[in-house]
Amino acid sequence: MLIQGRQSISHFWLKVFLTLLCSCVAGIGFVSGSAKAAEDGEFSIIASVQNQTLVSGSTSRAPLEGVAIKVTKVDGTLIGEAITGADGLGKVPVPSRDDYVIEIDISTLPDGLVLIDATKQKVFINQDLFTTNNKRVTFFTGQGAEAGASTIERILQRLSDGIRLGLIIAMCAVGLSLVFGTTGLTNFAHGEMVTFGGMIAFFLNVTLEIPILISGPVVIVLGGLFGLAFNWAIFARLNKRGIGLISQLVVTVGLSIMLRNIYLFKFGGRTKQLSSYSKQVNLELGPIGITPRDLTTAILGIIILVSTALFLQRSRLGKAIRAVSDNVQLASATGIDTRKVIKIVWFAGGALAATGGIFRGLDEQVSFSMGSDLIFLMFAAITLGGLGSAFGALIGGIFIGIFVEMSSLYFPSELKAAPALFILIVVLIVRPQGILGKSQRVG
Amino acid sequence: MDWNQIIQNTIRACVGVDAIYFAVAALGLNIQFGYTGLVNFGQAAFMACGSYGLGMTAQYFGIGLWWGIPIGILFVIILALIVGVPTLRLRADYLAIVTIATAEIVRLFVRSVKLRNIFGGTEGISNFSREYRELNPFEPGKTYGFAPFQFSGYTLITVLVGWTLVAIFSFLVWQLMRSPWGRVIKGIREDEDAVRSLGKNVYAYKMQSLVIGGIIGMFAGMILALDRGSVQPDNYSRDVTFYILTALVLGGLAKVAGSVVGAMLFWVIFVFSDNVLRELTRNGPLRFGDFTVIQSTQVGAVNYMFVGLGLMLLMTYRPQGLFGNRTEMALDGR
Repeated sequence: MLIQGRQSISHFWLKVFLTLLCSCVAGIGFVSGSAKAAEDGEFSIIASVQNQTLVSGSTSRAPLEGVAIKVTKVDGTLIGEAITGADGLGKVPVPSRDDYVIEIDISTLPDGLVLIDATKQKVFINQDLFTTNNKRVTFFTGQGAEAGASTIERILQRLSDGIRLGLIIAMCAVGLSLVFGTTGLTNFAHGEMVTFGGMIAFFLNVTLEIPILISGPVVIVLGGLFGLAFNWAIFARLNKRGIGLISQLVVTVGLSIMLRNIYLFKFGGRTKQLSSYSKQVNLELGPIGITPRDLTTAILGIIILVSTALFLQRSRLGKAIRAVSDNVQLASATGIDTRKVIKIVWFAGGALAATGGIFRGLDEQVSFSMGSDLIFLMFAAITLGGLGSAFGALIGGIFIGIFVEMSSLYFPSELKAAPALFILIVVLIVRPQGILGKSQRVG
Repeated sequence: MDWNQIIQNTIRACVGVDAIYFAVAALGLNIQFGYTGLVNFGQAAFMACGSYGLGMTAQYFGIGLWWGIPIGILFVIILALIVGVPTLRLRADYLAIVTIATAEIVRLFVRSVKLRNIFGGTEGISNFSREYRELNPFEPGKTYGFAPFQFSGYTLITVLVGWTLVAIFSFLVWQLMRSPWGRVIKGIREDEDAVRSLGKNVYAYKMQSLVIGGIIGMFAGMILALDRGSVQPDNYSRDVTFYILTALVLGGLAKVAGSVVGAMLFWVIFVFSDNVLRELTRNGPLRFGDFTVIQSTQVGAVNYMFVGLGLMLLMTYRPQGLFGNRTEMALDGR
């Protein structure tokens, strides 16, 4: 069995095999593996310190000179220090692609200036963030009324962030819950509908340079059509073929994998920013700092959710949707066209998910996995609120958003999702039907 | 295009380590999903139990590698209780939601910076396999075998150990499913209430199935860890579970041979598609006129896109896979 001749050839094959193996592993490990292909060479972390001032309503930025920054390893070992130059940049070479912590020395800031986000004095740099050899970290400073936030202020700030996250989760989760209620399908590809909204918004807003206020409604309609397409192309047909709900659930998993990789294929593995309203300074509302953009999206979010609730509660169609969601057979016996209602639910769910995608894209950034990162919070929300109940999804979503953000006061933010799992498990043990669900559904 | 090379790589993929750990994990998932009807979307977390059990024994507890097995089993039982206790009394999709969430949280925990001194953060654990390497009778640098089945001594030991485990677990699952226990399990999949009316404790049987499937999955994680010589958190992302599920459905649910052949076939198709696409894009992007079809950085995405599409088509048009029996695949658990 032992080959002793042809050494060089077998070595060649070995190399090919190992390379393949490695590429497969890299691919399996993380889908975006291909996007962060290793570039060897010198690595460095560049800090950019920018001072923001509000001049007649618009933000202007100026580089800050003479600010000390420090890069350490995660365990605290010092790697290097730098002082920013006239361009506001300070460069610290680092030995390799690794996890680092960059810290800005706030005592070296000019008098009266503070970091706009006081929590960003230390920034953790994950090695995955090195998309090129240089990782740039930007610190924004501004005129500070008070330095350092008290506990109550931090709680209020988190609450405000939590409400905004909660609104997005609620918006995305309503469709998930209604689709479940009307068809019994647990749609694992719902997150991809959210990403769809973000992607189309990015395409219209950044590539075609249409302002988000004009492109937003287009995205929402397209999102609704996307949801309709899900039903038309896949799930209506599966139902017609008499394929069971668990099999359909596995189909949604396949759909989720496929769509996510299509997004990765077209969009790439990096996160990108929408161009509208990306540069704004915080408005100080009492102790809470919020950008005008975030305030607007929050108010819009509330308006959208309240009108969704009113629509479901008051309108004929809304009542029909709730009836089908309650009991399909009974609703159909009373003369409701259940198929039409299901189509409307898919459209509305898709449109709301796309809206959530736009808001999330404005709030954070657009990436190929932005929706699938949220899906788990959405499931926690609809389980808490009661699977199949639209109002439950609204309440659950807002609660989960606030709970998750608040818990990051005491919990490392990289484990943000863990408290949601905790809620999920407690709810399932204590009251598996959720707040507004019906107990006959769970067993 | 070097077809000779592509075909050799493809053939080798069906006996390689990837196929082995997929086969073992699929055998475990088959007990849960195929035979019992439990929708476990967190098999990757059970694999992580094995890998981290193994890694932590040598790295932190300073005890022999063999202790990794009981410690891994302990992790599996804890994990199975966390996901099983709240959900096994409820409808099937609750388990799906909780397992997928738990698996993701497990991954976030083991890669977190705060717990770096326990789990090693994003780099994971890498100094644990020396004991295993010393057991290796082959020379690591040498190449053994005949084309296309050539492996370095370093890999060969894992290949042999792995296929032995696949054989043992296949036999075990086969015997288990012929036993009275297996008949109850299959009965639960078909009609839970009927089994309950016979006086069986359905909840306990489901939990046993979850744990046994998890323990087999744990061995898959161990094989992966020993072959790579390291434990890395991102090897246990949620998509890994879905790829294993795809392999399982491809081979056929509720069939022992289905898990093994499905895993082999999955990797044969995957490696073939990967190789062909990489060859096509090696000298710059593939173009038709001015239209860029695919670049080399997009190969991974295209491969996984096919996996997702494949899973959808299989579930729709051939849910019994290659070996399955259509009547056994009436997964309608509610």
